Amino acid sequence: MFRPSTLNKHPTITRRSALKLAGGGLGSVALSAMLQAEQPAHHVAKAKSVIQIFCPGGMSHVDTFDYKPELAKRAGKPFDPDGALQFFASKPGNCQPSFWNFRQHGESGLWMSDLFPKLAACIDDMAFVYSMHSKTALHGPGCFMMNTGFTQPGFPSMGSWVTYGLGSDNRDLPSFVVLPDPRGLPPGGIINWGAGFLPAVHQATTLDATDPQNPIVDLFPIGDAPTSSDPASRNGLDFLQQLNRRHLDQRRANSDLEARIAAYELAARLQLSAPEVADTSSESLPTHQAFGIDDPDIGPFGRQCLLARRLVERGVRFVQIYCGAENTTAQKIRPNWDSHEDLPRDHGYWGRVLDTGASALLNDLKARGMLDETLVMCTTEFGRQPAAQGARSAGRDHNGGAFTAWLAGGGIKDGVGFGATDDLGYQAVDHPTYSYDLHATALHLLGLDHEKLTYYHNGIQRRLTDVHGHVISDLLA
Amino acid sequence: MDQSIQFSLAILSVYRHIARHSVALSVLVLTASLASSTTRAEDQMVEFQRDVAPILEANCLRCHGSESPEGEFSLSTVNALRESGFVVPNKPEQSHLLTVVQPDGDQPPAMPKDGKPLTAAAVAVLHKWIASGADWPEGATLRVRSKADSTWWSLQPVTRPEPPQTPSTSDNSIDHFVRAKLDAKNLKPSPVAERRVLIRRLYFDLLGLPPSPEAVASFIADPNPKAYEQLVDELLASKYFGERWARHWLDIAHYADTHGFERDKLRDNAWPYRDYVIRSFNSDKPYDQFLTEQIAGDALDAPADESIIATGFLAAGPWDFVGQVETKSPILRRAARALDLDDMLTQVMTSTVAMTANCARCHDHKLDPITQREYYQLAAVFAGVRRDNRDINPERRKLFDVEKSRLTDSISQVSAHVGQLQGEALDLADIVGGGNGFGTGKKGQGLDARTGKVQERPFGDLGNVSPGHFAACDYPFIDGVFVPANGQTTISSTALIAHNLPANSGKAWDMIRHGPVSSQYSTTLGTIDYNSAGHSMIGLHANAGITFDLAAIRNAARPPAETDASVVEYQFSAVAGYGGRTVEPSAEFRIFLDGELKSTGRLGRNDTANISIEIPATSRFLTLISTDGGDGYGHDQISFGDPRLMISAPASPIDERKEQLVRLERKRASLEAELKSLGEPPEFYGVVSEAPPSVHILTRGNPEAPGDTVSPGTLGFGKADVQFGATDTPDIDRRIALAEWITSPDNPLTRRVIVNRLWHWHFGTGLVDTPSDFGFGGGKPTHPELLDWLADEMLRSGWSLKHIHRLIVMSQTYRQTSVPLITDKRDDPAAVDADNRLLWRMNPHRLEAEAVRDSVLAVSGKLNTTMFGPGYRDFDYKEAYAPIYTYQTADSPPLWRRSVYRFIVRTTPQQFMTALDCPDPANLTPQRNVTTTALQSLALYNNEFMLKQSRYFAERLVDENGSNIDNQVERAFQLAFARSPDKADRELSRQAIAQHGLWQFCRAILNTNEFVYID
Repeated sequence: MFRPSTLNKHPTITRRSALKLAGGGLGSVALSAMLQAEQPAHHVAKAKSVIQIFCPGGMSHVDTFDYKPELAKRAGKPFDPDGALQFFASKPGNCQPSFWNFRQHGESGLWMSDLFPKLAACIDDMAFVYSMHSKTALHGPGCFMMNTGFTQPGFPSMGSWVTYGLGSDNRDLPSFVVLPDPRGLPPGGIINWGAGFLPAVHQATTLDATDPQNPIVDLFPIGDAPTSSDPASRNGLDFLQQLNRRHLDQRRANSDLEARIAAYELAARLQLSAPEVADTSSESLPTHQAFGIDDPDIGPFGRQCLLARRLVERGVRFVQIYCGAENTTAQKIRPNWDSHEDLPRDHGYWGRVLDTGASALLNDLKARGMLDETLVMCTTEFGRQPAAQGARSAGRDHNGGAFTAWLAGGGIKDGVGFGATDDLGYQAVDHPTYSYDLHATALHLLGLDHEKLTYYHNGIQRRLTDVHGHVISDLLA
Repeated sequence: MDQSIQFSLAILSVYRHIARHSVALSVLVLTASLASSTTRAEDQMVEFQRDVAPILEANCLRCHGSESPEGEFSLSTVNALRESGFVVPNKPEQSHLLTVVQPDGDQPPAMPKDGKPLTAAAVAVLHKWIASGADWPEGATLRVRSKADSTWWSLQPVTRPEPPQTPSTSDNSIDHFVRAKLDAKNLKPSPVAERRVLIRRLYFDLLGLPPSPEAVASFIADPNPKAYEQLVDELLASKYFGERWARHWLDIAHYADTHGFERDKLRDNAWPYRDYVIRSFNSDKPYDQFLTEQIAGDALDAPADESIIATGFLAAGPWDFVGQVETKSPILRRAARALDLDDMLTQVMTSTVAMTANCARCHDHKLDPITQREYYQLAAVFAGVRRDNRDINPERRKLFDVEKSRLTDSISQVSAHVGQLQGEALDLADIVGGGNGFGTGKKGQGLDARTGKVQERPFGDLGNVSPGHFAACDYPFIDGVFVPANGQTTISSTALIAHNLPANSGKAWDMIRHGPVSSQYSTTLGTIDYNSAGHSMIGLHANAGITFDLAAIRNAARPPAETDASVVEYQFSAVAGYGGRTVEPSAEFRIFLDGELKSTGRLGRNDTANISIEIPATSRFLTLISTDGGDGYGHDQISFGDPRLMISAPASPIDERKEQLVRLERKRASLEAELKSLGEPPEFYGVVSEAPPSVHILTRGNPEAPGDTVSPGTLGFGKADVQFGATDTPDIDRRIALAEWITSPDNPLTRRVIVNRLWHWHFGTGLVDTPSDFGFGGGKPTHPELLDWLADEMLRSGWSLKHIHRLIVMSQTYRQTSVPLITDKRDDPAAVDADNRLLWRMNPHRLEAEAVRDSVLAVSGKLNTTMFGPGYRDFDYKEAYAPIYTYQTADSPPLWRRSVYRFIVRTTPQQFMTALDCPDPANLTPQRNVTTTALQSLALYNNEFMLKQSRYFAERLVDENGSNIDNQVERAFQLAFARSPDKADRELSRQAIAQHGLWQFCRAILNTNEFVYID
């Protein structure tokens, strides 16, 4: 470990020097400097942006992507005959084969279960990491680990690290946008996309996909939207800026004061750009249909996927979509993938949701020629047990030992699988991979070296990958 | 850690060393050449300490060191090496060590696993060393060397440097220390700021609030040359001082009012600790005492309440309920506990001595002289500490409990007597809870159907179930309990048999309870919630049975001088229902009288059965049974709502009895009043002290790989081994010892760290610019003598924080203007010291989130200055597995308190505050970030709180100044900026008000840079 550079202890320094270049004026340089303008990457990037789909609750790999014929052979036999194991909430039941049939698809001949008929048609564009595992089998810490590399709260999320490393590519929109599930927050809450100890400028902006008029909190004063969105009527904004400039004139060139003046101008522009991006009325009917927008169950997630495409189209660097919630009182069906008692019911519901939205997203990006530059990732916090859980043997308990993540586009090799679990899908055995390698690989595709992307905090040069991580070269195109 | 950077840095430091010590170097070279001339024949020889040890230490010891070596292989001592067999002296080709550090075909070397491969030269050295016998000098021990050792600046004793002689005329030594550094760079201090700037600066710095226009005017007009000093003393004595400075400390304590993690539950009693900090700062509690109480306040002799509350510090951070309590997996629980201890020890060591001991959890510290063993010694200090809600004073709780049970016993005796006299019905649920049928039983208590034993805590699936086994019960009114067998089963102590029972799974869940069983889905049967006041219920999860002894009940319930008990006839009534979730009928109940079936039914979620059974005076046993219907027992929660035994024909009360009743009712009322006035002893969220379990060094920090046991101790900084006893030392002694070590005048860090923190909070940057890291990774002091001088002042003043505050804010350095007039660009000090580390001016700074919000309220006239107590909750709370927090606009006086009293939710941060850089309370935050974002502008410009406050501000201006616009503008500028508007300000303001109205003008004022920046 070495002395922290002045630069990342004082993020304003870069701003300051940039503003000096701008001659103290409030030109585009000052504006984008405030926004942490595009930073040079460590190496040539394959991907310009990332769309990450997060399926909270713990998606079962053995019912979706990880084909385990041996499990079918042992169906109904005790998984743990010695009774030595204790899972998160239960003792293991009998071996439970996939609740859906598996088939091979595409030219790659990779396996996928019938839970995802539409996604199966995209299989040759996808790459699978079958050997993911986690340091925990608890939802909160698991979500934190997949998002930040640490099981404790308080660390910056991957999107924050990416904007910290690369800055913004768009003057009118934030560079890191999160679309939470309209049903509620994921386990662990908002801090899943927090900036941790990174400056708040790197935290995610939450976009409410259900409210296109007012998609960002406080974008407009309540009830005042129509007048404020009219740039000609800036209410008291001109007066404010006049006072601010007079205040600035009486002080030495102070870039912080200038940046704050610029921030109000940017906010005014965001009032135009955010409703524009959230308004999908200009999208074609087939597009609406492909994303299932009108379906009451699938629609909300389809809309999140469509908005994600619209955001990266406009240069947003990192978009995270949640397919599932936690903080909710919904009773009928589990509000996320956490299928302890009735996996056919809950995965059945969420599977349909993910299948439609994710496949539409991949197809749409591909059709627009955007997939090459957009890395799509789909993760969950951990997998589920190959053994049955519950009185009706219809559920599965948490499994930190194995799960599957998939990636597509953005420099990822098409139609490949990496790593493997054991015969039953209980533990990752071939190339066991923590979040570190996945994060290192994603950063690599964005032109960032995960070992060099550091920030000093309380005595440590922190990284997204802690002290671990290797780029998974087998996945690179 | 990037190995290559580490390596190149090491080389760099060697070069620097050479350059600085050329004399020593030439001696070294000379010695070396001498040696080579005399031992020319042995040129090929390698020497262990010189050649081999550095290679092993640099490449291998990190993982294969003495503590918890990876793969059980240690290279730290010769014995360890011999045991491994990885090195065969004289036989390099048979030595496994050499194999693993060299490439295997096209595969890179297996070792080092996480670093760059060894150079060919290094491999050659190892080869030679082994070939020549693998000599290892007697007693030599290898270990990883940290970058800093015991000679590191911050580990040296605190001295008291003499202030330098400078041209400064100040009588404050701080100014001389600062001036000397400025002079050395040919820099000059800036002039003193004008008074209106000084008063605004002081108010925000010391109180976090704007000065009133009246205070500004009177300070500016004060002819007393000591006016500033008087103002300082006045503000240091203000009650708002503690509120302002407590917020700084709470940042370091990562205080919040919920647990965090997945189930972010409320921590309703965290606030007493917050109030403790406010009170401590206001009363200038000596800092050593302040720390001691927070680490071990509960362990002091006869501790005061506030000392015990202080331990809320140890408990202030996040806590994972699911990982610590909910999960059944022991592995997950151990992992959660390891992180819990890490959080505690990190907080204590970071806040008090600014050492990153947490970096030594998986391996020895790479930068500072902190070993992994020492980390676990510290973990052992806290191993007996558990976060929990607790009584502030356990003794008071004991007294309260005694008094309470005396009163409740008396009340229930009186009630039972009244009930008997009135011929009231007996409550069978109360009897299940150990009562007499008239309310003396304990709600929630249960009987084990397997044994008849009383149980209070919740159970789930029961093991060791023997269906058909009848277990007698100690309660006089209950004959016994059982898990019913298939077909027929024994139901009484007299071996009565119930016949024709349905088949069941033979499983049982939880206890037979006075109230619902554990995990019961609902207590509402039909339309009535039988778990609510005025009702009662017996929870009888399938499969279970209970038999009441009617004869015993008859005898006990017989009023004095009543006729023969054997003639009392009862009526039994109840509502049988299903407390589970399943809608389809799924479980069955049966009621027997002396073995004869009286009632039965099959129930699901929406079913109830009204039961009414006549009980002749001759009947002895009433039996209730629940069975699972043979389809598995999940959720089969049979409940009996309001199970009552009513005397069929109560004797009519005679006059004597009426008088007795009046007397008893009066007695009951007075007992109840007494009970009510007892008052629950206060609780708070702090720590509970327990017998510490043994603590092990965890290999690579992995709780599943325990190594050596360690006893409690602390950091020795490479020169001492500081132990706090043995593995059986009680918890409180461990923490007292740590507190003593931290607050010892000999500890070189504690005082330096706190005076630097104070400096940081006053100036925006500390003399050491990493206030929580005084190790190799942190900054070095810009003014080391000043730092030591202040640290010494602290000791001389009896650890007074206010003394240091006063010294700092009284200095000329602090009083400088932040915007010096620079007439000649060539004199611009920024060219020499752009970051102003030498303090040639005061640093301007932006208000923190809390100060912005408090100031808005102060200016609008709405600030509620109520101190202390539970925090204000500006959110709606909805109970759920993971509770839902939905923020509401703070628009009522209770929500207009100072921000330090905000109820802080971890998983759902208050977005308005977060936008203003309020930190995540998961983190220890020694310094706030200051960022400028569009979302921040939107929050201040559009958030409903700001809009409402702008309107209140406008109303206030009208209230205080009438409709005169000039007066309104004057007042607005005075309130918000502590100054009068100039001509241009007035003109612009008038236009703005004319065009957009007064409240829009106010909204703009609250958004200005001038409002949120302090010169």
